Amino acid sequence: MALVGNIQDFGLSDFLYLVDRGYKTGCLHLNRENEMAILFFEKGKLTYAALCHDEKLTDFLVQAEKLTPEQAGALTQAYERSGRNLPMTQVLLKEDLLPQEELQRTLQTHVEEEVVYSLFGWPEGAFRFEHGQKPEFESPILPTPLSIENLIMEGVRRIDEWGRIRDRIPSTDLVARFVDQPGEKAKGVKLAPEEWRVFARINGKDTMASIAKNTNLSEFDVCRIMYGFATAGLVDIIKKPTAAQLAQGAQDQPKLRRSLVSRIINRIQTM
Amino acid sequence: MQTVKMVISGAVNSGKTEFIKTISEIEVVSTERRATDDTKAIKKETTVAMDFGRIAIGNDLVLHLFGTPGQKRFDFMWEILSEGMLGLVILVDSTRPETFRETNRIIDFFISYRDTPYVVAANKQDRPNAWSPDELRLALRQPPRIKVIPCVATDRESVKSVLLELLYVILDRSSEG
Repeated sequence: MALVGNIQDFGLSDFLYLVDRGYKTGCLHLNRENEMAILFFEKGKLTYAALCHDEKLTDFLVQAEKLTPEQAGALTQAYERSGRNLPMTQVLLKEDLLPQEELQRTLQTHVEEEVVYSLFGWPEGAFRFEHGQKPEFESPILPTPLSIENLIMEGVRRIDEWGRIRDRIPSTDLVARFVDQPGEKAKGVKLAPEEWRVFARINGKDTMASIAKNTNLSEFDVCRIMYGFATAGLVDIIKKPTAAQLAQGAQDQPKLRRSLVSRIINRIQTM
Repeated sequence: MQTVKMVISGAVNSGKTEFIKTISEIEVVSTERRATDDTKAIKKETTVAMDFGRIAIGNDLVLHLFGTPGQKRFDFMWEILSEGMLGLVILVDSTRPETFRETNRIIDFFISYRDTPYVVAANKQDRPNAWSPDELRLALRQPPRIKVIPCVATDRESVKSVLLELLYVILDRSSEG
C-alpha cells in the first residue's frame, strides 16, 4: 500500500530517513503546483531521481556532451540486442562507451544538484511512495546507488530558515546526545570542519547555546548542524533535566511488585 | 482499595476516547466540549479535558485509564496526569502523517523527565493508506526496544492486545514479590 502525505507535515529528510532505515525499495513521487519529481530507491539507497517522467539515458548523456549522437545510437542498438532486460546504464558500461567513474560522477552530480537538493527547498508538496516500483531500464540509473545520510546532511546544509529547524530544536537550551547504536551509518557521513567542531562537543550535557559559545559559531549555525545530525539519525535532541527533576522522576517511579502487574495481566486476558 | 493508573495519550483525533470506551467497564466519563479551535476541522467534538475509564482487577485493586486532552493548550494537564502512572499508551493515527511530529512531541514530553514504560499503538490499521507499524517506528524514530503495536481502537481484542503488551513491558521492569 502506498504511503501518502505532504512534506509540509512530514519533511523530505524525515522520509529519506525512513527509506534508509527501512531499506525501502520503491518510488517516491512528489508534486506541487506544476512541478513534480520522482526518486527511486533500492534497499534504502537512491538509484535515480528526476524532475520529469520520461528522461532517457541516451538523451541525457548527449545533452551533457558525454556521448556523441552516434555513440548514443550504438548504445540504443546494443540495448535492443540485449533484449531490453538490463538497465541501459549496464549495457553502456559493458560496451565500454564511458568509464564507470565518469558516468557515476555525471549522473550523481545531476541527481544531487539538480534534483534532490532542490527538493529540500520545497516548502510543501504531496508525496506518494509506491513500494516496489522500479525505474524504466532506459532511465539514467546510477551505476552505484547513493547512500541517504550524505544526501540528508547536504540537503540540510542548504536549509536557511529557523522554521524547519525549530520543529526539532525549538530551544537553544536543548542538549544533543549520541544515539545508542549509530552503527556503520556514522562512518559514512562526511562532515565539514565546522560540523566536526560541533560534533566533537556533543556530550549529552552541553546545551546548543553553550556549544555555540565554545565554538564561536552562531546559535543558528549550531542548531542547523545539530538538526542535520538528528535528521541523519546520529544524535537525539533531548531536554536538559535539572537535578531536581531527575530526583522527582525517580520518586515517581516506585518499583512495582511483579505479582500486582501479573494480576492486571490476568484480568485483562480474561476480559 | 489500591488504584493504579495508565495514561492514554496522542494527538487530536488519534482515537484516545474510543480506545478507553472500548475497554472500560464503566461508561467513560468524558468531559467533551464542542471544539472551538482548529480541531473543529478534524473533529466536531474533541476532548478538551479528559476521558476516564475503569477496570476492576479485584476487590482490592482498580486500574484507571486516563485519556489526555489532545490540544497543545492543555499541555499543563499532561504533567498532572502523568504523576505516578504505571505506563503510557501513545496512540497515533496511522493514516495521518501530518500528526507524526505532534506525536513525537507528546512522546518527548512524557519520557524526557521520567523513565516511563510506554508502547506506541498504531491506530486505524483497518483504514486504507494506514502506515504499517514498521513504517511508523521509523517515522516516529522509535528504537527497536519500543513496541509499536497494530491497533483498531474500536476493537476490544485489539485494545486488550495493546494494554497487555504495555503490561509485559512493565512486568519486565518490576521487582520480585
